[in-house]
Amino acid sequence: MKNTTRLLDVLDRAESGSIIEEAQWDMQIVPMEMARLQAEFGTSLSQLGDTIVPDDDALADRVFEAGLAMAERLGVYCVSTSRHIRFTRQEILAALDAAPTEVTIGEGLDRHTERKRRVEDPAFMTMKGGGVGTPIPEELYLPVHQSYAQEPLVDAMINCTLERVYGREIRSRSPWEVLAGWHEAELTRAACRRAGRPGLALGCVENAVSDVSELSATSYGGFSPYDWHHVAMISEFKTDYMALTKLTHLVRTGSVIHSFYNTIYGGSAGGKEGMAIAIVGGCILLQMIYMTNTHSVSPAHPFYDNDTTPEIMLAISVAQQALARNSRLLTDVVITPVAGPGTRTLLYECAAMAIMAAASGTCGLIGPRSAAGIHSAHVSGLEARFTAEVGRAAAGLPRREADRIVRQLLAKYQPQLNQRPIGLPFQEVYDLTTLKPLPAWQETYEQVKEELRQLGLPLR
Amino acid sequence: MSLSQTRTQELQKGLQQAIDSADTALGVDLAQAALSEGASPLEFFRGVVEPVLTDIGERFARLEIFLPELMKAGIVVKAVQQQALEPAIRGHSAESSSLGTIVIGTCQGDIHDIGKNMVALMLQVNGFQVIDLGTNISPRAFIDAAKREQADIIALSSLLTPSMPYIKDVIGLLNGFGLRDQFLVVAGGAPVTREWAQSIGADGFGEDAVEAVEVCRKLMAERRGKKA
Repeated sequence: MKNTTRLLDVLDRAESGSIIEEAQWDMQIVPMEMARLQAEFGTSLSQLGDTIVPDDDALADRVFEAGLAMAERLGVYCVSTSRHIRFTRQEILAALDAAPTEVTIGEGLDRHTERKRRVEDPAFMTMKGGGVGTPIPEELYLPVHQSYAQEPLVDAMINCTLERVYGREIRSRSPWEVLAGWHEAELTRAACRRAGRPGLALGCVENAVSDVSELSATSYGGFSPYDWHHVAMISEFKTDYMALTKLTHLVRTGSVIHSFYNTIYGGSAGGKEGMAIAIVGGCILLQMIYMTNTHSVSPAHPFYDNDTTPEIMLAISVAQQALARNSRLLTDVVITPVAGPGTRTLLYECAAMAIMAAASGTCGLIGPRSAAGIHSAHVSGLEARFTAEVGRAAAGLPRREADRIVRQLLAKYQPQLNQRPIGLPFQEVYDLTTLKPLPAWQETYEQVKEELRQLGLPLR
Repeated sequence: MSLSQTRTQELQKGLQQAIDSADTALGVDLAQAALSEGASPLEFFRGVVEPVLTDIGERFARLEIFLPELMKAGIVVKAVQQQALEPAIRGHSAESSSLGTIVIGTCQGDIHDIGKNMVALMLQVNGFQVIDLGTNISPRAFIDAAKREQADIIALSSLLTPSMPYIKDVIGLLNGFGLRDQFLVVAGGAPVTREWAQSIGADGFGEDAVEAVEVCRKLMAERRGKKA
């Protein structure tokens, strides 16, 4: 539950905690504690073999306890003040008890309520469709977003970033970033209006690399408090005054807060075991410092920039189960595939992630951030439609059955990842006049849906 | 005097043990023992340190080990260089155990540092002297640090599209100040592509930590070749 009292408490602690060098935090404190937690709580995942969606409740509960201990022992480091922000176990448990189990985003007829889900829950996940920060040329920005807003199963949108604004390069923490934030608000809202969904909630401000764009664009005529506003925790477990300034503005404007933390596989947290604990502990810390409504963690592979490799998916599944079984937190999964529009590989990756998330108790899906979100305009609304359909079909699926299908999908796409099949940009998979997928992309989508039916997924 | 093959292998094994247990004292003792047996600092670095670090780099590239293991290697090798090899090098003026000096950081407006930290560590464990400036570094600060440290390479990281123009600005400022010939510039980070790095006039591009090391090694070899 966010309020000014808790905000002031976080800001006070960011100025009164013990002083630590950032290098000591990165190189000693975090990796040593992460290694200690894995040994202490017995959270090895190696015994699971090639399982992606385990059905071991005791393991999920141990991972939750390890994540809780991590949040208590580590806390968060504030880079701007060189201070260590810490919370007692009692404070953490009280905040977890008070966390909301649902949040309504968007306005009017387009508002949507995201709710807590449990492991193997038959309720549908919220689908937050969009390219998640993928760079888009200015002239394509509106049609790309309209391709998501027009999809009926997309409950909220997540914005892309602009490559340029008024034809100029965008530089972070500069007047250009302010203009980009405003341009994002104007064009994405226009896309929603054109799609006949003017109140659709927007994931924003994606162009707010620093605080200036969030502060300017979340104001009268820009983004609304009912959009879902992003605040990041810096990896690993760090914040700074730019993030806390965004937070302060969002608390005082009564805005919905979505915070995220993107750990890197093989980074300070180590391998899959450390990553599972880091996801749980990271979500708890996001709740503690940012008073978050919805939380997401999007781990990245150090060489592919994706989260669809087996070891990362396993870590996500275990962590999502841990949080679903033991907390009230609303947790989302960001889908970051290697492949891009026009390819079967993209659809296999999206399906595997959606099925894994549905069975693991995830509340919302975000994305897909196709082609790892780094290739210009390599995103389209069709993959969001597909992901939502698969997510709905997978709701209520037992974990063992989900695991069987996910492993078969993995066998189809894993050998392709080395080739980086980024596919085609938006203008080559969609008709820019009708905003419908071109026949080849539509046909691929239909074929992969049929393959999923053959694999036993009850897809309409 | 050269170390025997058997002794070299013993020292390699010992250094690996020192890294596994993050035992800097053991690493320094091994280096000092080798030096007292008549090995030159460069011989120890090339015969013992480099093969161990190459193996560590290859295991990291296969994701058999992770950042914490790289950190241990970085800590132990830095101690070996600073406490054993560099004092000895002063007596062998023609030698240097460093492949070159690199100033590294994440560009202005960007606070992502894990990827940059991985690259910095990989460079360090592969024999470069690395000065990590941290995150949110202005173009001017990169250049001031490179001048101060007499760097060979400026390595720029960007994880966000709006921080990429600052990579171009570093090159623009180097040109404007007449310093472009003094420093090599390499770029990397998720949105940075090889083509874009070439288009702005960077000297090198690293897709990941492994390629960053290869590129810096190649650039330094070319630079030293030109100077020779």
